[in-house]
Amino acid sequence: MDGGTSTTGPAPEWRSAMIDVSGLSLAELAADAAPGPADDSALAHCLRRLADDLVRPGEPIAGFNSAL
Amino acid sequence: MTRSGIAGARPHRLSDAAFAALGAGRPDAATVSELRRAQLSRHLLLLREIAATATAPGFASLVAQERADPPRVREMLARPLTGVWAASYLSALRLGSLPEEAGSGYLADLAAAPGRAERLLTATHDGLSISVRVEDRDPLRARLGLTPAGRLTDAEAARWQELLAEAWRMLVGRARPQAEVLAAVLDCIVPVEADPAARGISATSADAFGAVAMSEPADATALAVGLLHEVQHSVLNAVNYLFDLHEDPDALGYSPWRDDPRPASGILHGAYAYLNVTRFRRAHAGDPLAAFEFARWRSAVVTAADELLGRGGLTAAGIRFVTALRAEALPWLDEPVAPEVARLAAGANADHRLRWRLRNLRVDPADARALADAWRRGDPPPRVVSHLRRAPRRALEASARLDLAHAVLRGDPVDGPGGDLAYVRGEQDAAAQAYKRSLMLDPGDHAAWAGLALTGGLGAGPEVVAAAYRALDHRNVDPVTLATWLSS
Repeated sequence: MDGGTSTTGPAPEWRSAMIDVSGLSLAELAADAAPGPADDSALAHCLRRLADDLVRPGEPIAGFNSAL
Repeated sequence: MTRSGIAGARPHRLSDAAFAALGAGRPDAATVSELRRAQLSRHLLLLREIAATATAPGFASLVAQERADPPRVREMLARPLTGVWAASYLSALRLGSLPEEAGSGYLADLAAAPGRAERLLTATHDGLSISVRVEDRDPLRARLGLTPAGRLTDAEAARWQELLAEAWRMLVGRARPQAEVLAAVLDCIVPVEADPAARGISATSADAFGAVAMSEPADATALAVGLLHEVQHSVLNAVNYLFDLHEDPDALGYSPWRDDPRPASGILHGAYAYLNVTRFRRAHAGDPLAAFEFARWRSAVVTAADELLGRGGLTAAGIRFVTALRAEALPWLDEPVAPEVARLAAGANADHRLRWRLRNLRVDPADARALADAWRRGDPPPRVVSHLRRAPRRALEASARLDLAHAVLRGDPVDGPGGDLAYVRGEQDAAAQAYKRSLMLDPGDHAAWAGLALTGGLGAGPEVVAAAYRALDHRNVDPVTLATWLSS
């Protein structure tokens, strides 16, 4: 289970295992080396979770009948 | 970011208040923006992994184009079908496919032809606008779970536009906060072929945030409800990307929205989508049919949330999310609904659950024989437990009783089997007798068993009563007496 943690305190929040790279360019993304298998960084956690999601893809949710 | 590049990236995060509001189906604009950023992050990380795994034709061109015009390339990368392609391509590569077999040309196509002319559907009402692309060309649109229609003709597009304009007036006027979420999340509609067995069908894919596959809706209300429903799936998919909500997402159970056993993750999807549908119907509850939908789904949403919470299979984040969902719907249970509407709505929910049990819970034949033997001897019944069987495929059954209930609420003339007619009229004894007669003719008639349970009472599980009845010479046995014996 690597899916996020909650914090307590005056402003509790939920922190995801997934990192925010939305502000990075493709060039910046491709420039960094891949983490090794023993890497415990946030990036490594994030990529492991991404890989897990690919192995267990969600089925399309089809079939809602909108008319009565 | 203080550290450069990806190593300095921070986790996506939501305040606890924002997360609870998201669970309640009322995310604010900042939360929706965070979800959109998270989905862009997902696409970018997938592209990074693709570029690191194999040759990715087009990647270098996209890098160059992004330097020249970052917003345009970002917009292309954020699109739902880019996510579909990136996930399927990377999966295929990791399973050993060659790049060209896995669809390596997609990125090159994206790099070569960004900004092609596309059809847009737009609407504005009371200062709030929506703009939705019609995605009727990309072959990847077939991955949304339904058969895509061909390219829209001008007449078809005009019909969609007309329906959206009317639906948007309805949504903004009666559910403005949800309309705001819709406008921020919905990127494209994928027209799909109609299903002859349904009167309007739609779908969403976890890989395609903001895309909704939908057949041409019957009317503007159907479009409004369909969009509200499907966009909730997209929102929940984005939450699932960020946070694990289930300890065991595949644990099967009852869903009020499907006839087959559903995994916990699917049950939550149903509850979350119907939270929005229920809210929309609540705003129309002066109309008997909308009141019926409101009464039916408010109860189903709360029941599903209760069962998810009660099963103990949620993570801390899942408990927070589902508790907020339940708290949002719970006060609706106290809102008045006309007694006849409430009766039919409660009956529809009970009917669905009974039929689900009859369809999906199996009694071992040896146990059924043991029950029959004990009945013949006049002994107390042995304890028998039914078992859930996994369904081979998605199931959505037609229900003549539900169709009749809809007709009654519409004020249409009603016609149908005697038991169902008596049931919708509230004539319980007459209905029970009719269902008993049906069972003498066909002891495998699930609809009659469910009808008898609704009107005559079958204290034990209906699947157990039905299994024992079939194991006996059933024409000489009263099923209600048998059920009473089984409950003793």
